Amino acid sequence: MQSQTEQESAPSSSFKTKKLDFTSLLDIIIGAVIFFAGWQAVFWLHLYPSFLFPSPLMVLERLIFLAKSPNPKFNLGASTLITMERLAAGFTISVGLGTGVGMVMVHFRRFGRTMNSFCVGLQSYPSIAWVPFAILIVGLNNYGIVFVVVISSVFSMMVSTYSSLRNIPPIYVKAARNMGEGGVSLFKNVMLPASFPSLITGIRQTWSFAWHALIGAEILMATIGLGALLELGADFAEMNQIIAAMVIIFIIGFAVDRVLFSMVEDRVRTKRGLNQIPT
Amino acid sequence: MGEELTEERSNTIPIFPGTRLITNRILELRDLRKTHVRHNGNQKDDLLVLDDISFDVDEGEFVTIIGPSGCGKSTLLNIIAGMESYQGGDVVVSGHRVSTLGPDIVMIFQEDSLFPWLTVLENVAFGLRNKGMPKEERKKTAMKYIELVQLEQFAHSYMHQLSGGMKQRVAIARGLAMNPRILLMDEPFGALDYRTREILQGQIQEIHEKTKKTILFVTHDVREAVSLGDRVILLSHRPSKIKREYAIDLPRPRSAEDPQLHGLINEIQRQLKEEVKFAEPNGTGISA
Ligand SMILES: Nc1ncnc2c1ncn2[C@@H]1O[C@H](COP(=O)(O)OP(=O)(O)O)[C@@H](O)[C@H]1O
Ligand SMILES: [Mg+2]
Repeated sequence: MQSQTEQESAPSSSFKTKKLDFTSLLDIIIGAVIFFAGWQAVFWLHLYPSFLFPSPLMVLERLIFLAKSPNPKFNLGASTLITMERLAAGFTISVGLGTGVGMVMVHFRRFGRTMNSFCVGLQSYPSIAWVPFAILIVGLNNYGIVFVVVISSVFSMMVSTYSSLRNIPPIYVKAARNMGEGGVSLFKNVMLPASFPSLITGIRQTWSFAWHALIGAEILMATIGLGALLELGADFAEMNQIIAAMVIIFIIGFAVDRVLFSMVEDRVRTKRGLNQIPT
Repeated sequence: MGEELTEERSNTIPIFPGTRLITNRILELRDLRKTHVRHNGNQKDDLLVLDDISFDVDEGEFVTIIGPSGCGKSTLLNIIAGMESYQGGDVVVSGHRVSTLGPDIVMIFQEDSLFPWLTVLENVAFGLRNKGMPKEERKKTAMKYIELVQLEQFAHSYMHQLSGGMKQRVAIARGLAMNPRILLMDEPFGALDYRTREILQGQIQEIHEKTKKTILFVTHDVREAVSLGDRVILLSHRPSKIKREYAIDLPRPRSAEDPQLHGLINEIQRQLKEEVKFAEPNGTGISA
């Protein structure tokens, strides 16, 4: 073998990958401080009576009260838990069913095309507008709520599975077949990993649809849960409870989307060199 | 692989009764015809691409195929690899008609076909699982070929960490690791810069000397064709026929700078220019 090798070295050293670093964490903290300070300032202006516009401290007090409450309808832990259970059930069903149907759509071209148009249409249907249908056909219970969650998010998963699989560069499949790969093994070892970066974006979107639908459905259909906590707050004109529930809902959404999903997405993209920014 | 063929089609030819001379013929193309069906909206029209192509390749030969862009070089390799159907003639590999694709004939593509979710080692070992090799052996075999292309420091790197030339070396290692009977290369260095290309042209010759693989190498670069091939097959414009064949019997490693090759390079370049003139306007342009 010739001793000469290419002059160019691996380009990895001249690239930097994007990361959630110290500066952006600092920015978030500064942003939060400004937000709470502004809130407190508006409170001090007394534009509204304090029961309609509580201070951050009053909301915190209510949060502590809710956390300690022995009544499961008000208990923060119990409410959060049941909400997360419904979310986990609905989201899992959506991802499983959506991926399955999406795969079938790729396999049967005509079915796929037709189904795709339907899914896009159904996806723009407001999730809350499924509630009356769900109440009558499934019931005013947990199953009804999970039904609304699934029906509001499953079509998004179908569409994204369908488009992720169809957008795999054909060269990967061609090369794999050339090496004797086929059937389930081709799907598992090539098509799934090849479509993964776009699939994870689809899963993230599906989660977002499921989460929005769940809170809406809980407000209308649940007696216990974070959505029910909002509704109870409105019934008793308890603004600190409403805002307390809003804060928890915000934190869960932020943690799952901005932390969990974005971390997974970032990992995958960095590993594949999709996050490279030339320096 | 398809059915067993009759004796005269087989790769052994009896000379005297009871004696056989192994001619080592590994690939035979007989009157190969291929039409592509093109869809323009509702209309379909047939495009004759390969028109009665016949040639043989012996085991261990390094054959380069050159022709104007769009003449059907990739189509020809796809057919030999069993990835495309054909309408007439025979493609016979070691006495078997090619009907389905299998890991016996491996293609190295011009485009980047390496899997970005796998490391260099995992990419090279990828096809070995289908050969029923246990895990440790797959790793050892893959490592052997990674060493052959001198990328052992990069065995655990991902594709985006490699340069274009390194990626093509990984692709070559992946192809060789499959231990195919025939290695097909479709303009593998086409996307590389001049300098990298020259180095890889030297390396592929060395690899060929070491492994004695049968290689069919498609290129649209005359200098590459003559410096690599034991034989150069020149295809005409579409519908493609074999225009000329040139045997090159010069010691290796060679390069296009070799003064003995100058005459041949000029001659092939002249022939090729003639073909490009004939080619349809929509079929021209320097593309893969
Ligand atoms: N799958 C296909 N369907 C229809 N036409 C094709 C297909 N593949 C290639 N062609 C046409 O066949 C001709 C030969 O293509 P190709 O084998 O890629 O040429 P080359 O590799 O020599 O540049 C081109 O005109 C191309 O447009
Ligand atoms: Mg080509």
